[in-house]
Amino acid sequence: MRTIDTQTALWMAVTFILFPVLALLGITMRTVQAGGLEAMAGWFYPLMTLHGVGMVGVWYVAAMGCAASVLARHVAPSPLIGRIALAGTVIGVLMLLACVLLGRFAAGWYFLYPLPLHGEWPLWSAVLFLASLTVLGATWLVWSLDLLRAIAARFTLAQALGWHYLRGQTEPVLPPSLLIVTVSLIAGIAALVSAVIVIVLFALELLTGTSSDALLMKNLTFFFGHTLVNLSMYLGVALAYEILPDYAGRPWKTNPVVVVSWNTVLAIVLLAYLHHLYMDFAQPGGLQYLGQVASYASALPAAIVTIFGALLLVYRATMRWNLASILLFAGLAGWAIGGIGAVIDSTISANTRLHNTLWVPAHFHTYMLAGLVFLIAGYFAHLARPAATADASPRRDRTIALLLVGGAYGFFAMFYLAGAWSIPRRFAAYPAELAHGATTAGIAAAFATLFLAGFLYYALDTVRQWRTATRTD
Amino acid sequence: MRNAAARIALLLAAVTHGAATADTASGQVLFQQKCAACHTIGEGDRIGPDLHDVGARRERAWLMRFVTDPQAMIAAGDPVAVRLYERYNRIVMPNLALDDTQASALLAHIDEVSRQHPASVAVGVATAPMPAPALRSPQSAILYGFIAATLLIVTVFVWVARSTRDPATVDTHRAYALRRVLFMAGLVCAITVLALTLPRTPYVQAATTPDRVIHVTARQFEFLFSDVAVDSTGDLLNVATSDRITVAADTLVEFRVTALDVNHGFGVYGVDRQLLAQTQAMPGYVNRVRVHFREPGHYPVLCLEYCAAGHHLMRAGITVE
Ligand code: HEC
Ligand code: HEM
Ligand SMILES: [Cu+2]
Ligand SMILES: [Cu+2]
Repeated sequence: MRTIDTQTALWMAVTFILFPVLALLGITMRTVQAGGLEAMAGWFYPLMTLHGVGMVGVWYVAAMGCAASVLARHVAPSPLIGRIALAGTVIGVLMLLACVLLGRFAAGWYFLYPLPLHGEWPLWSAVLFLASLTVLGATWLVWSLDLLRAIAARFTLAQALGWHYLRGQTEPVLPPSLLIVTVSLIAGIAALVSAVIVIVLFALELLTGTSSDALLMKNLTFFFGHTLVNLSMYLGVALAYEILPDYAGRPWKTNPVVVVSWNTVLAIVLLAYLHHLYMDFAQPGGLQYLGQVASYASALPAAIVTIFGALLLVYRATMRWNLASILLFAGLAGWAIGGIGAVIDSTISANTRLHNTLWVPAHFHTYMLAGLVFLIAGYFAHLARPAATADASPRRDRTIALLLVGGAYGFFAMFYLAGAWSIPRRFAAYPAELAHGATTAGIAAAFATLFLAGFLYYALDTVRQWRTATRTD
Repeated sequence: MRNAAARIALLLAAVTHGAATADTASGQVLFQQKCAACHTIGEGDRIGPDLHDVGARRERAWLMRFVTDPQAMIAAGDPVAVRLYERYNRIVMPNLALDDTQASALLAHIDEVSRQHPASVAVGVATAPMPAPALRSPQSAILYGFIAATLLIVTVFVWVARSTRDPATVDTHRAYALRRVLFMAGLVCAITVLALTLPRTPYVQAATTPDRVIHVTARQFEFLFSDVAVDSTGDLLNVATSDRITVAADTLVEFRVTALDVNHGFGVYGVDRQLLAQTQAMPGYVNRVRVHFREPGHYPVLCLEYCAAGHHLMRAGITVE
């Protein structure tokens, strides 16, 4: 019988509490954009900032928490560091809430330099924001290092990256999830270091008045932002590699192709961030072209190896379909669909027409919400539902899946449509020329509410099943 | 007053009228430096209310107090101040550290301009909601391509999911052969798209020359067009600027775009209200973007990089005749 260890259960609790609140902020934003909730209009940008940082943070820690629980099956992460990670995250989140709710801090989730120092919010709120990121960054850095340490206790770095498979060896056996977690952790450390540099440069300006170069700061910021979001996604994919085989009744093993694919991802994902700077014409031209080539190159192995591998695993298998496996499978589809939207946007000549329109939230919400969130929700469902009752209520499972999928894709469709209509992202209200932006926002709010209802149903049901399971243990 | 001709007239008036108008002239300088980003005098609301005839609307003492310390008045619950604050997106007007002399100079300037110029509604800003444009732009082609790819992905996933109703062992060698084919096809596809799209980037090619060069300076929360470059807030006093500009049809215009405070985005929309071109406006850098204005009509400019509370109100206009 499967059980959830306490730490994973705590991460699940954090996710189940924070996500609905942050999603509600998202619904509020869409409603304000539709012209409703006039009293909240002045709160749009603070809420947008809280929603953005909160969502990226919550799903990053959820992915890390799940990765730690997967690792615990093969190696031994430190339980103490795990508790520190949880405590540091909670403290960082409380500081974040204070600076946004009390200080109306609103520099957006990637707080592009020098905006935090030039807004209508008080300086202390910007300082508190940077301090909260310092706490989160330091905590997560320590956490990532500890997970790598745990891996290093059993594998050399070359083995953890699977290089021995390339020489035809299959010993020691490296589960693909471990390979992907290693790749993600290394990328994560690079991202966090870049965030630390950004924060230090901000601190320098606050303390000594030395200003930084806007283009350099933008490069650092997107290196960090892009990499963090992508590696969260990869950790989610590692979960699929780990447990989808249980449901398909077939193995999903590491082989040279898988190794080459994920090593390529590690090399290339660090360059793909350049596609965020296409509209900064001052950036050296060579880097712009490199950005497009790297973006395409990082999509190909993912699509051909991982997605194809998952489809092959399921194709004509004796598949046990329940909420966990449905969500994992749908999550991979969401990753693929959002990925197409992203690859389109990473084409320089398309980016001139799409950059900073709602096309951008369209594609990242697709792979975050219908990709990462589905994968992690699937993993939690897998842990919480003991095998004996796993197939107990296909009808309930189907209702939940339908609400989640239908709500999410209706919500995304409005973003994509608005993006094709050139409606800018991050507009609290739309000008009269773009009044159709408000119409799509209203429809999106309705779909997002449907999604949220589905998620609450899922969360309550998962908690109930988990409690039943722990009682009968 | 950001209208260039009117500003020059004002400066002239200040010079010729001598001491009596020194007050208004320094008020004009201050207004340009500290207020113009959020207020106009007679050209409509921006982040804050249009200040045309504000001297007639409000008592002098109230105005003096408000201008020198707006935040204290809102905090103290002054009913007029609070109502304004609620109405203008709950954006608090900043305390601009003005002393009483500066405040009266500003109010004198506002009165002066109000007297000389009747209020006019800003041109080129639509007030009634406009209908959605037909999906015929290049953006629509992108959307249709994306929908097609999505349908393909959904079809494959649904097909694989349904195949589990009829389990069987799968020949992995054949599957890997298929993967090889797919990989090669993907590679060819990616290289083709790269070859087709990389030459079509928006970056300025040295070999061609534009018909006209226009400088664009962005700051919270306005875009200013000018014929010469603006490097600092101080330059704004010597350079004629406007947030509206007229261009002859069928001209290739090069915009040289910079920012004075934070990052902004210079987004040019076409007559169909679809994004035509954009570049970031960055402090310390000049980005050059070229736009070929073919058709006559109104081309709105919107800010495409979030720059704080007035971001969605930050705009300019280009009229092509
Ligand atoms: C960042 C934007 C901003 C700047 C800069 C700014 N204001 Fe304001 N102003 C506002 C807003 C917003 C209001 C509405 C009240 C509120 O929300 O605080 C306002 C209100 C006012 C009012 C009251 C208008 C009325 O109808 O009673 C006056 C007078 C005024 N501002 C003058 C000035 C002057 C003079 C300056 C320059 C020294 C200035 N403002 C600079 C944003 C700004
Ligand atoms: C029901 C769920 C959700 C809803 C209703 C929602 C809604 C929104 C809305 C309306 C915006 C502002 C769009 C704009 O620019 O105009 C937004 C931005 C954003 N969302 Fe979500 N969202 C949801 C889930 C998520 C998830 C799961 C993530 C990430 C894991 C996420 C991350 C973000 C980020 C990073 C931004 C950008 C914030 C910024 O621009 O600073 N959202 N969301
Ligand atoms: Cu701006
Ligand atoms: Cu802006």
